[in-house]
Amino acid sequence: MKLSVERSSLLSAIQTVQRAVSTKTTIPILSGIKIAVDQTGLKMTATDLETGIETSLPALLNNDPILQVMEEGAIVLSARYLSEIVRKLPHSSVEIEVKQNYLTVIRSGSSEFNLHGLHAEEFPRLPLIHGNQVFSLPALVLKDLIRQTVPAISTEEIRPVLTGVVMSLKDGQLRFVATDSHRLAQRVASVEAPADLTFSNVIVPGKSLSELGRLLPDNDSLVDVVIADNQILFKMEYTQFYSRLIDGQYPDTSRIIPTSFKTEFRVGSKDLLEAVERAALIARDNDNNVVRLDVKRNLVEISSNSPDVGKVSETLSHGSVSGEELLIAFNAKYLIDALRVIESEEIVIQFTGSMSPFLINQIENPNYLHLILPVRIY
Amino acid sequence: MTIADRTILHVDMDAFFAAIEQRDHPALRGKPVIVGGSADARGVVSTASYEARKYGVHSAMPMTEAKRRCPHAVFLPVNAAKYRETSRHIFQIFYKYTPLVEGLSLDEAFLDLSGSEKLFGSPLEIARAIKREIESEVGLTASIGLSYCKFLAKMGSDMNKPDGLTVLGREQLHSVVHPLPISKLWGVGKKAALQLERLGIKTIGDAARMDLQIIRRFTGSLADHIYLLANGVDPRPVEPYHERKSIGQEVTFAEDVGNLEFLHTTLLSQSETIARELRQRKLEAKTFTLKLRYPSFHTITRSHTLAEATQNDSAIYRLSQLLLQKCALKTNDKVRLIGLSASTLLPESGRQQISLFDVEPDKSVKLLRAIDQIKDKFGERAVTRARLLQNQDNPLDPNENGD
Repeated sequence: MKLSVERSSLLSAIQTVQRAVSTKTTIPILSGIKIAVDQTGLKMTATDLETGIETSLPALLNNDPILQVMEEGAIVLSARYLSEIVRKLPHSSVEIEVKQNYLTVIRSGSSEFNLHGLHAEEFPRLPLIHGNQVFSLPALVLKDLIRQTVPAISTEEIRPVLTGVVMSLKDGQLRFVATDSHRLAQRVASVEAPADLTFSNVIVPGKSLSELGRLLPDNDSLVDVVIADNQILFKMEYTQFYSRLIDGQYPDTSRIIPTSFKTEFRVGSKDLLEAVERAALIARDNDNNVVRLDVKRNLVEISSNSPDVGKVSETLSHGSVSGEELLIAFNAKYLIDALRVIESEEIVIQFTGSMSPFLINQIENPNYLHLILPVRIY
Repeated sequence: MTIADRTILHVDMDAFFAAIEQRDHPALRGKPVIVGGSADARGVVSTASYEARKYGVHSAMPMTEAKRRCPHAVFLPVNAAKYRETSRHIFQIFYKYTPLVEGLSLDEAFLDLSGSEKLFGSPLEIARAIKREIESEVGLTASIGLSYCKFLAKMGSDMNKPDGLTVLGREQLHSVVHPLPISKLWGVGKKAALQLERLGIKTIGDAARMDLQIIRRFTGSLADHIYLLANGVDPRPVEPYHERKSIGQEVTFAEDVGNLEFLHTTLLSQSETIARELRQRKLEAKTFTLKLRYPSFHTITRSHTLAEATQNDSAIYRLSQLLLQKCALKTNDKVRLIGLSASTLLPESGRQQISLFDVEPDKSVKLLRAIDQIKDKFGERAVTRARLLQNQDNPLDPNENGD
């Protein structure tokens, strides 16, 4: 294998696949990146067997030649060394040549590295996915779906399904739901899909989605999503992202979301976020960050107290209340997480009672909702 | 008062469970009595009377072995309620002499008598009075160790059993304690004893004279522990409210169990018992550990720490089921013992995060409270789940140990 490549393109490809490199692995080859070149271009792959990323560099990018292949071939190089070396190389062009016994020479300007590589044939192949369940959506929309649901996943490995986001599709409406059983986030988006395409209970690990979210470009380019038995594939222009799916049945959450309410509180999302963050300064001392919301006809008060620290209370003057008065206690962190990913300037919080879940709805975006379960104080 | 001139008693009842049975059944006096699990199945010995000990029977020995060694012994099941009641009576006697009583188990306690002398006489007189009262009021004998620290008091109570009274002061440390084998030292188990013997430390006296710098390199902090004890330095106070670090339940089945449903039912019963004890002690637990022992005696544990502490039956049961799932039992696997324990105990917070999957959280809390009140008034068996009823015919061994 022998090639010459533009340094910054090479570096960005390395940084893309590096997200899938296993950091804690007992299998040495998984700490490497596979580089393969043929006349069509360069392909880079990394995987921790849970997720896999493959990205390609074409010979021409915007009519600029960025890659020249002198000899086809493949090699696996340590991800850590490769990325650190390429980042520090002195010249804008890099030459990579594999010699005998996988010894790989990396030249740039007058600098020359010799790295011991591994046999590319030993690198695990990414799954071949030819699912027939294919749909597309803009990268920005997918990014929002991820950003608005992943914070609600559970971190407790004891219930594996809850560590993922469950996807379903019906009538062209893609739904992401995540819950750690104390709060739930749901986001719906319209996607381009065959009219008859329907699926449910596709559980993607939250960790994979977070990584994917960082890879997605901030534009409207379409991402194709392919679902197979136990794998999911996200195809971007040059990059493909694979993830294992979580086995098991996700609990039915549709019946949990209340539809009738006794109290409604309309408030500016930024005003509420700042007030909750202040109350949380005192609340963080106790185990479940408890703050209280006292919703009265003419005023809403948010408060918290910690016996050892002190207390805080604040009146929210810009909101409007309709329905019954109510006092409710909940974990401030859940409301903060929800408000941080909300785009609407104004939200409505809908309550059904102090022991029941309450909903946070965005006035300008009905496709996103967040549900929080209160803390019972006895 | 300094730590050095405290007066500490260690009171240890003699063959407690067996002695209670002999007290209540005069026909058993003078005969070997073995209290423990079912003799036909696989229980272990909780307590053996002194008559049975002559045949080499000791606590924690499998019942089948005890039966082989002493076939003519009288085998009795553990009557936990009776032993608890007797224990309460004995502790009341202790409290007459000092509020500083640290119970280690039903039949064992430390008493700090510092300051009691002015009221009740010399430490030796108090020790004799306690023995006398236990004998006349409860009808049992105790062995007592008297010293200035916990370690020597505990050594003392063990030296002239049964019905002994041993004073171990600084003089006796050299003449009586130092010649004893290292394995008699508190906190030195079989493995540690072997290791120390290989390092040339065969007696407690050897430990008192050892080169700490050198031994520390082999044994780590154990070296410091035994060095101090061997030199009679043990400043640990008698702690009246001995905080328990965990609350647990385990059973050895009469026959190996492969039926998953039965394991779940057992876990349900254990979850309820643990949750009730947590509520009684006004505690919540964060960590739960499931223990499984296979017929081969291979034992595994799986544990999980919750984000939020709990004292709720169903939350604990749900977690125990998930822990059992984590053990990945195969269809043909059988289990000899199953146990559940709660640790990382915290004072109850008075708050409970409601979960999406609780059907009626408010109701369930009220229900638990009502059940607790009924049990307080009418006893533990007054109310139970229908599902647990058929389970009570099964000969479970409460692995209680009261030697």
